[in-house]
Amino acid sequence: MSRKPKQIAIYGKGGIGKSTTTSNISAALAEAGYKVMQFGCDPKADSTTTLRGGEYIPSVLDLLAEKRRVDAREAVFKGFAGIYCVEAGGPAPGVGCAGRGIITAVELLKQQRVFEDLDLDFVIYDVLGDVVCGGFAVPVREGIAEHVFTVSSADFMAIYAANNLFRGIEKFSNSGGALLGGIIANSINTDFQREIIEDFAAKTSTPIVQFVPRSLTVTQAELSGKTTIEAAPQSEQADVYRALARHIAGHEQSKVPTPLSQTELRDWSASWAEHIVQMERAERARAVA
Amino acid sequence: MPINLRTPQAETREQRLGTITQWDGSAAQLARDSAFTFGCGRDCGPGGRRLCELSSPYSQASMCAEQIAVTNATIIRDTVVIQHAPIGCASSQSFTSRYSRDLAARRGWKPEDPRSICTNLGEQDMVFGGVERLADTIRDAYERHHPRVIFVATSCATGIIGDDVDGTARQLEEEIGIPVVPLHCEGFKSRHWSSGWDVIEHGILRRLVPHRPDDKNPDLINVIHLGGPDVFSPLLNPLGLEVNLVMGGNPLERLAALSTAAATVTMCFVLSYLATGLEQEYGVPEIRAPLPYGLDASDNWLRDIARVTGRTHLVEAVIASERARIAPELDRLRRLLKGKKGFVAAGAAFAHGLIADLRELGVTVDDAYSFHHDPSTDSGDPEQDSLGHLVQTTGDVRNFTVSPDQHFQAHAALKRARPDFVICRHSGTMAVLAARMGIPVLPIFYSNDGIGYDGLLTIGRAILRVLPRRRFYEDVEAHSAFPYRREWLEETDPFALEAAE
Repeated sequence: MSRKPKQIAIYGKGGIGKSTTTSNISAALAEAGYKVMQFGCDPKADSTTTLRGGEYIPSVLDLLAEKRRVDAREAVFKGFAGIYCVEAGGPAPGVGCAGRGIITAVELLKQQRVFEDLDLDFVIYDVLGDVVCGGFAVPVREGIAEHVFTVSSADFMAIYAANNLFRGIEKFSNSGGALLGGIIANSINTDFQREIIEDFAAKTSTPIVQFVPRSLTVTQAELSGKTTIEAAPQSEQADVYRALARHIAGHEQSKVPTPLSQTELRDWSASWAEHIVQMERAERARAVA
Repeated sequence: MPINLRTPQAETREQRLGTITQWDGSAAQLARDSAFTFGCGRDCGPGGRRLCELSSPYSQASMCAEQIAVTNATIIRDTVVIQHAPIGCASSQSFTSRYSRDLAARRGWKPEDPRSICTNLGEQDMVFGGVERLADTIRDAYERHHPRVIFVATSCATGIIGDDVDGTARQLEEEIGIPVVPLHCEGFKSRHWSSGWDVIEHGILRRLVPHRPDDKNPDLINVIHLGGPDVFSPLLNPLGLEVNLVMGGNPLERLAALSTAAATVTMCFVLSYLATGLEQEYGVPEIRAPLPYGLDASDNWLRDIARVTGRTHLVEAVIASERARIAPELDRLRRLLKGKKGFVAAGAAFAHGLIADLRELGVTVDDAYSFHHDPSTDSGDPEQDSLGHLVQTTGDVRNFTVSPDQHFQAHAALKRARPDFVICRHSGTMAVLAARMGIPVLPIFYSNDGIGYDGLLTIGRAILRVLPRRRFYEDVEAHSAFPYRREWLEETDPFALEAAE
């Protein structure tokens, strides 16, 4: 009997750096000697490209579209440091049902015992944006991921998405679903950004597991089709990702999230908006003086 | 690959077994092309090449796997089935109600209406999710009927919106204290209705069969059947075996005893998921001998059961007595049926069995129509290759069509066969079609009719009742018209439309 891998889901608003962060966590874990699978749950099927030298892999749903009987192992590709890369895939924008796509892909791998057979230490799901429908909640339901982390910047829209995710997790937590591990604060370069995200974390009693600064090293690595861990292993940024990966590897206790209600969230962002305006006024006044 | 009972959803038959629904050719060719031939060392050479499925430009009619799962859950007494679905999915429950009463009458049970509730999902539920409505319905079902088990059948609609039925069922189970068993019935997942058997058997295996290692009963044999009269006890009691008949409306106690039995037999390998699962999970051996259709197969089936349950010393006497008992009437039937030409239409292993019965009765069968084809079974054991066994023991079937109840294809197949009579399951399509084409037809609803020694007599007598009605069927034909062009009315190739494309 193979051991049960630690299963982690990483959610966050589109474009926030979720796949970049996830791929770097996978790369850092693999570098540390763990057996890792990264499972992209986004119809764009581009979660694992930086683990594969910028190359796209055929998705589970691509295979299902080609033939009726699919060996799910055909959708598993090895990437950097032996990481197993899988993309759920999904329909083109505007057609079909991307949520159902995730249900179908995850179910197929589970039924064919792919996770057990590969004898993995970690499965990391990289899941698109908001939990817009039941399909996107599949990785946080019972029997799949145990811990959820959300990637968020100090941008209000990203925080809204994180709060929405908390609500989704809270819903499933009664029925044995995943629990919240914490926030990965991404692209945080100023004290001001740090204050916003820390305040949100405090209001929702959520730990921030790591601050990840915005860095040109990441962009350069991405453009060469690689993770920072692979392209710039000696960089400071790579060490940030390694610290994050260590934290996640050692993470044991997640909790039921306590999201803000719609009104609380609105009031909270309004108070920050006012604060920002006052600060800018003060800044301008200083400049004039 | 073993059956995976850890996931709430059964893997589809297409994935597990490579099931196909469209094919035409000889039975020998189909048996050779099926995966079973791989390495089995029979007279088919290396074999095992990939089975090539034909395609059809359209479907006229079919059935949904959900109906099989829901009907077979609903008829289990002391349960309530909740269809978590828009109301249209519940339309088949009028059939279930009739079926349940008919079963009760035949088995001597008190006739009562089966209990099911549909959550009647609407637009609002599709948008906002239907799990709260499901939770309320489970509570209502419990308060109203006090069942011992509640089944929750999902639907295409809830599958697409991703309602967390498993989570809700688990929560409510804790609240009300009885098993709440989800059945994942999304009709779009499989192209064949027989996947519905896997769904209900998966649910039973996961939740309703307790492990009872201290209650082993060496005299108990599980018999998994589709439903209908118990023809198995007369056959197996003389071996000192007590029959635990399951499916077909049998009570929860029978399911709870499954893990205690000495062996399991399945009257049709289409239902063998449960038998294979019982062997895998509880070590109850699955009898894999070819099904008891025809004299030799019945002998060997009994011998295999006797071998596995340690009763070899009893079996030859039972076989000799059964053979002697039916011999005079079998001779008479063979004389009367000699030279008649039959056409068989039924589902996979059951079709193979009926062909064997007819051939044993001296009927010529050159044409058959199977509703689907499984190139393998869950055990992966070539012993269960019922088509290969048929061809090997009784010869080829020249025209063997695989098609899921497609009326237009069946019309062409019957035109090609020109039989003296048709014997079929699924009377709604096949029996009506044959009758309207002027062919005497014997519809079989309860598929146990052809089993074992008595099965030969039952089927033979029934054919003899049907054959003299030719004039009646010719009258029906004279008053029937089909919505086809002249070319199709004359067509004898069920797949001519594919060839034309």
